[in-house]
Amino acid sequence: MLLQKFCTRALHTTRMVYASGTGAGLEKSALAALRKKTGYTFANCKKALELHNNNVNEAEKWLHAQAQSLGWTKATKMADRATAQGLVGVLVRGNLGAMVELNCETDFVARNDVFKRFVDHVARICLQYTEEIEFDGDLWKLGYESEALKNLPTDEGRNLGDHLALLIGAVGENATIKRAICFKAKHDINLCGYAHPAPANVGSTEDTTQVGKYGTILAFRSDIKYPDYEFQKSICQQIVGLKPKKIGEYGKDKPVENKDDETCLIHQEYLLDADRTVGEILKENQTTVVDYHRYECGEPTRGNLDEIIRSREQSSN
Amino acid sequence: MSHAFAAVYRSAAPMAIRCSRRAMSSSRMLRLACATGPTTASRDWKRNSLLLTAPTGNVQQYLREYANEKKVFERTKPHCNVGTIGHVDHGKTTLTAAITKVLADKHLAESKKYNEIDNAPEEKARGITINVAHVEYQTESRHYGHTDCPGHADYIKNMITGTAQMDGAILVVAATDGAMPQTREHMLLAKQIGIDHIVVFINKVDAADQEMVDLVEMEIRELLTEMGYDGDKVPVVKGSALCALEDKSPEIGSEAILKLLKEVDSFIPTPVRELDKPFLLPVENVYSIPGRGTVVTGRLERGVVKKGMECEFVGYNKVLKSTVTGVEMFHQILEEAQAGDQLGALVRGVKRDDIKRGMVMCKPGSVKAMDQLEAQVYILSKEEGGRTKPFMSFIQLQMFSRTWDCAVQVQIPDKDMVMPGEDTKLILRLIRPMVMEQGQRFTLRDGNLTLGTGVVTKTMSALTETQRLELTEGKKAREKKEAAKK
Repeated sequence: MLLQKFCTRALHTTRMVYASGTGAGLEKSALAALRKKTGYTFANCKKALELHNNNVNEAEKWLHAQAQSLGWTKATKMADRATAQGLVGVLVRGNLGAMVELNCETDFVARNDVFKRFVDHVARICLQYTEEIEFDGDLWKLGYESEALKNLPTDEGRNLGDHLALLIGAVGENATIKRAICFKAKHDINLCGYAHPAPANVGSTEDTTQVGKYGTILAFRSDIKYPDYEFQKSICQQIVGLKPKKIGEYGKDKPVENKDDETCLIHQEYLLDADRTVGEILKENQTTVVDYHRYECGEPTRGNLDEIIRSREQSSN
Repeated sequence: MSHAFAAVYRSAAPMAIRCSRRAMSSSRMLRLACATGPTTASRDWKRNSLLLTAPTGNVQQYLREYANEKKVFERTKPHCNVGTIGHVDHGKTTLTAAITKVLADKHLAESKKYNEIDNAPEEKARGITINVAHVEYQTESRHYGHTDCPGHADYIKNMITGTAQMDGAILVVAATDGAMPQTREHMLLAKQIGIDHIVVFINKVDAADQEMVDLVEMEIRELLTEMGYDGDKVPVVKGSALCALEDKSPEIGSEAILKLLKEVDSFIPTPVRELDKPFLLPVENVYSIPGRGTVVTGRLERGVVKKGMECEFVGYNKVLKSTVTGVEMFHQILEEAQAGDQLGALVRGVKRDDIKRGMVMCKPGSVKAMDQLEAQVYILSKEEGGRTKPFMSFIQLQMFSRTWDCAVQVQIPDKDMVMPGEDTKLILRLIRPMVMEQGQRFTLRDGNLTLGTGVVTKTMSALTETQRLELTEGKKAREKKEAAKK
């Protein structure tokens, strides 16, 4: 039901404008009222009214009931359309962290609040499941593929796939939940997350879903009692911006000659101060990076790499 | 004496004289092309100069062939750039195809099929890849360039590189669906790329009834008003692009398309031609000719220059008044130089050392030097030859625009860092005031690397003395100040 609320709110308008002479009498018409209240497409509102002899309440109930199946119809119809745009959502709450990637067809939709709220919704569902996990050791991490995510149950016997279908029904574009990764930390390990582009000068990002084109979750140990959020953020930015392949170990990984090709996090030059390396900065702040994960919206994952290869093979045949 | 003046000019444009007849005619072409902006003109110029380097006989032959191959563009009508925006399934492409078809029936356009337009090819404009489809057509009164892009980022890139600045937009909404949640984003985009005039086309009325169509109209007007447009005055046309394409029910098909075009003709104003603006010449070179005075050369960007006109040199913290005492092109005296002409101008009462490349010669009072501005910039990705790393505020870059370049300090107003391949708003602080105007394009470079291209969206108030001092401040000093504040 969450999504339906979204739709109505997104289309709720504050001002009444008389469109034309003929429009004047329409203000009170059942169709106008129904569309304004529910936000479903005009065609569907019309159909609902026809089926229920212009009874707005009945029609509304029917629409809500139908939304799911209509969403699914639309979703199946558009299932083969490419989704190259989208958002990465990062949510960190205490010792829990979730990062999700959702795709859609155009970046217009990715910028829309309906879509952003859905990203938040998915991230929260993932976090909810992470919370229940019991494990040994210090850090637990699990990645989800698209199909597994769609089957995550939410409320009232529905799953994320149903919610996705509702979203597709609302925005009229194909959308997919591509992947997710969940972190759970214990003992002295802390988590922090960052999504880029992020609005400047925001304070704590605890328990808010940050959305952007790139995202990262970082697990680290720190000997400093009071966490410095700005510092944590700068390390996350480092990962987002310079795309390290691994953390790197002193003694084992040697810095490469050309600084720009460096793929070990600790040997990379620090974004905020090019004269020092990330390793030096981490030492200075008595912090060690335990693990991290980086998402870039639209980047090929192993799953769809296989698909690409397969489609190439098919086309060459 | 005048020979000396000419000799200097010859060194400025060596290849021009060899083929002066062709060159003269090409300059006329440039002048005509100027309304589409400097890009086209300079491209033509480059192409011509390429042609001119070949031996003369071959040139003649080549030109003849070249003329045979391509149809000559006749500029009899004012040009205007429009674009379509709207939801993917609401029929933007069908509408574009329908427009060309209806106009093709009147011999005003070449009919394009749906799939010819749909595949929005990747285009490389100034080294930047954009997905964009361009279609051209004309109505009785105007000639149109029609742009259609699949995404927000593509429209922004299109605005920045300026292949076709949009003067207005057609918003397409399907009567069956009404406004979508993302229609808001479409309107925000239009605002962002500076479109003040929107015409609405309500599509698919064949699949809806009158009540629905009226309600969609009301809803869209409401939304337009909410987004800061004059929703009550925006023209709304109802029809079915598909009917027009399939030659069915003309009252909602072809007639609706014609009505839409009529509204576009009248509602979207014709952009002011470069020729009609106050003149402006970015100075490329300055020469001193004994006994005659100082000559400046460059390509006239806009307006008309005649002998005896008052002028002003602006840039490098200087404003110098003077008078044009002679205009020459290809070492011949010119009655009047028009936008697009490569010319030399003799100016009175200024020394050669007073004027520098990078200044502009313009109508007195028409431009101002600025040192702080807001711009929309596209940062080139690595594949496009940009840098690999993101950058933060306070980075020092070299800014190139017109004939000048200048060191600038960058401030990122609404995020922490900018990744390659992103478009972003930047505030640029110039180390010294230079002539900048809204809509002016520029390139940012870092060492030998092109970092991005952008367009000025707003000029801001001049820097204060302390701000100017801060520009040269190092990172250490900035940190110290921050710490002191805390």
